[in-house]
Amino acid sequence: MTVTETPRFVRADGPDKVTGSGRYTADLSLTGMLTAKFKYAGVAHGRITKLDTSAAKAIPGVFAVLTQADVPNVRFGPFVQDRTLFADGVVRFEAEIVAAVAAIDAATAQRAVDAIVVEYELLPVVNDAEAALAPDAPLVHPDWSSYGAARPMVRNRNDASFASIAKGDVEAGMAQADHVVRSRYVADGCHAAPIEPRAIVAQWEGDKVTIWSSTQVPFDARAGVCETLELPANRVRIIVPHLGGGFGGKCGFHQEAHVAALARAARRPVRLVFSRREEFLAPDKRREGITYEFETGVRNDGTITARRVKMVLDNGAYTSDAGFFSQIGAMHGLGPYRIPNLLAEAHLVYTNHQPSGSVRAPTAPQSCWALESHTDEVARAIGIDPVEFRRRNAVDTGAEGPSGQLYGEIGVQQCIAEAARLAGYGQTLPADEAIGLAIGWWPSFSVPSGAYVKIDGDGSGQIITGAQECGTGSVMTLRQLAADEVGLRAEDFQLVYQDTSVAPYDMGATGSQTLFNNGRAVVAAAAQVAEQLRQLAANRLEADPADIVLADGRAHVAGTPDRSVTIAKLAAIAAGGELLIGHGSGAPPEAPALVGSTCVGNVGMAAWVAPQFSCHAVRVKLDRDTGVVRVLHVAAAHDSGTIINPLAAEGQVQGAVIMGIGQALTEGTTYDDAGHQRNAALLEYKLQTCADVPPMAVHFVQINTPNAGPRGAKGLAEAPNVATAAAISNALAQLVGQPVRQLPMTAERVWNAMNATGAQGGAA
Amino acid sequence: MSFTIARTLDEALAALAAGARPIAGGTDLVVGARHGKAPLPADLVAIDRIPGLAEVTVTAAGITIGAAVSHHTLEGHPLIASTYSALADGSALVGSPATRHVGTLGGNIMNASPAMDTGAGLTVLGAEVELRAQAGSRRVTLADLWTAPGRTSARPDELCVAVHVPTPAPRSGSAYLRLEYRRAMEIAVVGAAAAVTLAPDGSVAAVRVALSAVAPTILSLGGLETLAGGSVNDVAAAVAAAASQQATPISDVRATDHYRRHTVGVMARRAVAAAARRAAGETIAIPVNRSIGIGAAS
Amino acid sequence: MSESISLRVNGIDYPVTIDQGRNLLSVIRTEVGLTGTKEGCDDCECGACMVLLDGQPINSCSYLAVQAQGREITTVEGVLQGDALHPLQRNLLEEGGVQCGFCTPGMIMSATALLQRTPAPTEEEVRIGLSGNLCRCTGYSKIVQAVQRTAAELADS
Repeated sequence: MTVTETPRFVRADGPDKVTGSGRYTADLSLTGMLTAKFKYAGVAHGRITKLDTSAAKAIPGVFAVLTQADVPNVRFGPFVQDRTLFADGVVRFEAEIVAAVAAIDAATAQRAVDAIVVEYELLPVVNDAEAALAPDAPLVHPDWSSYGAARPMVRNRNDASFASIAKGDVEAGMAQADHVVRSRYVADGCHAAPIEPRAIVAQWEGDKVTIWSSTQVPFDARAGVCETLELPANRVRIIVPHLGGGFGGKCGFHQEAHVAALARAARRPVRLVFSRREEFLAPDKRREGITYEFETGVRNDGTITARRVKMVLDNGAYTSDAGFFSQIGAMHGLGPYRIPNLLAEAHLVYTNHQPSGSVRAPTAPQSCWALESHTDEVARAIGIDPVEFRRRNAVDTGAEGPSGQLYGEIGVQQCIAEAARLAGYGQTLPADEAIGLAIGWWPSFSVPSGAYVKIDGDGSGQIITGAQECGTGSVMTLRQLAADEVGLRAEDFQLVYQDTSVAPYDMGATGSQTLFNNGRAVVAAAAQVAEQLRQLAANRLEADPADIVLADGRAHVAGTPDRSVTIAKLAAIAAGGELLIGHGSGAPPEAPALVGSTCVGNVGMAAWVAPQFSCHAVRVKLDRDTGVVRVLHVAAAHDSGTIINPLAAEGQVQGAVIMGIGQALTEGTTYDDAGHQRNAALLEYKLQTCADVPPMAVHFVQINTPNAGPRGAKGLAEAPNVATAAAISNALAQLVGQPVRQLPMTAERVWNAMNATGAQGGAA
Repeated sequence: MSFTIARTLDEALAALAAGARPIAGGTDLVVGARHGKAPLPADLVAIDRIPGLAEVTVTAAGITIGAAVSHHTLEGHPLIASTYSALADGSALVGSPATRHVGTLGGNIMNASPAMDTGAGLTVLGAEVELRAQAGSRRVTLADLWTAPGRTSARPDELCVAVHVPTPAPRSGSAYLRLEYRRAMEIAVVGAAAAVTLAPDGSVAAVRVALSAVAPTILSLGGLETLAGGSVNDVAAAVAAAASQQATPISDVRATDHYRRHTVGVMARRAVAAAARRAAGETIAIPVNRSIGIGAAS
Repeated sequence: MSESISLRVNGIDYPVTIDQGRNLLSVIRTEVGLTGTKEGCDDCECGACMVLLDGQPINSCSYLAVQAQGREITTVEGVLQGDALHPLQRNLLEEGGVQCGFCTPGMIMSATALLQRTPAPTEEEVRIGLSGNLCRCTGYSKIVQAVQRTAAELADS
């Protein structure tokens, strides 16, 4: 195999995207297609006392009006089966779907939605996850104990998923400390906010349905449709047109079944397109708000003796894929540190908020923000420079992590050194500027995945994969892996992807897993084709197949490049005999063993295959009169293993860092007393603009990672979102005089923190 | 329901007399309708193609800005940038580049939002609005025009056709700043404009200050006459105190009243300082928000 | 009430019959049949719907279609130079300025308008010029690089 350098890798889907010819789901139109709209609860918690759809059904042009009575009585959910397609007697958040309408056009559909009569007996709104843990708190799901759930889940009343990680003797560890530092942090929820609002089109032909959906996880979406509409997998086909970003917000099964059910009832194709407001309110995907109570024992020599952390995560009204958040959150609450004695406890708690779900490194950015802010407090308590403190206490190659995992070669220490260097840590700065630094980590997810590779008679190749491209370019990079395997160029391959009826299973654009797992599958499939090519070439060149080298579009005998044949020629020969077809999956790397720890509520999130590490160092400027913060420079160093596509990798880091700046300063969901989101619009939920973006230095620490993906690659798309807000916090704390203990650290919160210490500056 | 593209002012005024509402860029009208703020009027008359309505004219008394002049034109107009700077500062901050191309000064004024970015600047510059109906035209001060959020004293048949801004006195300068949480695509959390005239000795001969987003309409600060003769620093400090004291802000998703009351004083102080620097002959690029302080290009 | 009007899009006249309250975006996407222009917020906040009207950028989500009569509308589909990519389109790809691609058409229209009025923009001018176009994927820097590279190439040609 020859590895090709591709410094300027142009995406295969690029021309579609820059010319406007590429189709996204909302761009699709089918003859006879109807428009879908949903009737939402409008109240955060209420018992339905009246639901009358008769007036809506009577409107001319309305073809279907559905409620829970019209679909199979299935309670579903990947971790806890606490959900139905439509509200089942009770609504538990403001955008719960009560009914769905399909009508001839949008205006008619809206009239029908408005004509649906729903009355509620209002129930107490559970608006605060911490309060919801109280023994006398109203229950979001009074029948919680009757729900089915994945076996390891530990549940109790509003606590939908409890996890703890314990090691050593935390009391004894605290007793050994010279200082015990305690802090509390509160992170608000926030949103993935892809620029494409979700869209779904469904069309039935006979007893089979095709659903075009803006999902990151087409196979998950199919599973959801099959479960809720009681259909076998081979009668449901999910196709994803170009996907306009996801960031986790389009993970999981969302409204595909609603639209399919409408299309079946209406006997017409149906299209649903969300408005921006719906995109904020309705998806089962919102980054969870979390409260943190930390306690860290440290000796004067800078050694951490013990850590205790209690976390309360806002699950929202239903447990979508957030069931694993308590355990992975506990890992992030402990951090990539060497701590002999520890106890982390995390509760995922029901509230009457929009359900939480996987948004880019779920639980990690806010937990890193809280823990790393706390870490700077610990370092200051003993008078050690925060960078030096991390050098001493962060995990390293050969060290043991908090859950008892022994690390092979990892690059966290190199990340610290590089980020500090790139940021100019230690330089003299103006009085209103400071540099903060934070370390982060994230797993690589080892899961099954499959792909086919074929080379047709003219020598052109195709990769048929279940992998999903959400913009990151990881599917695009698969071409390079296949091409290098068979001696062709990346542009000799076309991709057929994101179609559940064509390709084998893949988990989708989630968990940064595409290159790690589908890359492995594509390499395995291409290797089969390569073996066929070597056999054909060996026959033709009268050589041993083991001596055949595939490179630059030719097969030649090792050591004698003149004895060669083009791969196109071999493909033509194969077209008259045994075809060039490969299929691959490969065995997913196994999770490492954990030694010496006890994990309650273990859903497999405490043992990390090929963990990724990062360090961000950020220089910020503070307007002391107003609390407005500006990020002036970001240095980001990452150990994500081997970087196969440098341009795309750098783009992932840049995009994630900017998302992190938004989460740090301006992106946070606030709720009113009735449990309604107050800022479900892009003017009030402020993403960073092009005008806000600081210069950035990105460095990849590329080391040999055991158990990694193809060529030593780990994941990447989520990791660079982890440490940015934390680094900003640590810079800001130096200027404010104490940490800003709420996320996002809005200007007003910064100003309040400054006033609290009397650190407010003079005239500007 | 009707939609008319007026080719002359008379056509537009006739349509208004018949009950139509004017539309120029439509940015406030169309977005507002979609948010349920007010339904899109049944009868509309487009005023963006009337000759002369989109011109800036220098007169003996100052300048006359046609109601259909875009924010983009205002932010880049050399005379407005140099002499009527607070207006240019405000126009340069409105919405996005696209909004500034299509959005007009007349539309911004008649939308009467207390958070508008041009209103405070126009107020301190002493601008008057010319309203015209078929029966004739009249001039009103901005204080008389704005009556409540989204409300003006203009009659339905009256069209805002121009804004008249008098020539500032010698040694004058003006500036508008707003508090914003990002460098673009913002709406003023609070804002302040100042017009300062310096005496030959460098003290403040006259100062006017107006505030946005802290009252039901743009708030013109009262009681500043007594500050004449003070140093720029002293006047700026006194103005800051007066701004915080006279503001009557609300709490909403963008900020609490408490924070607004404080920061409007900061904005007012900075507006006075920037206006004084301009009055002294210094050039501060438009808009101040992106030229000095936390929002400056790095 | 429906009205029959003519809209000129990318140099072609389209007769359309539409309600006067319809926004230009939906008419371009539905009646005209060009779906390159996207809807991201319907609120002038994201810029995905950006088109040029007589060369100036507008948010087509908030512009009445009837008001575009007699004006020259340019969408992303009108940017190609014959069958070849415009340098801006090519540079966006080569610099890595395209990920999910949903903001890309609007970004291209804003950048086109910027380069027309400011052929040699400073980085700050590019950043402000594109500030009405939200991108969630790239972090913007590679887009800014692509625009600056395009400006340099067009100046050399």
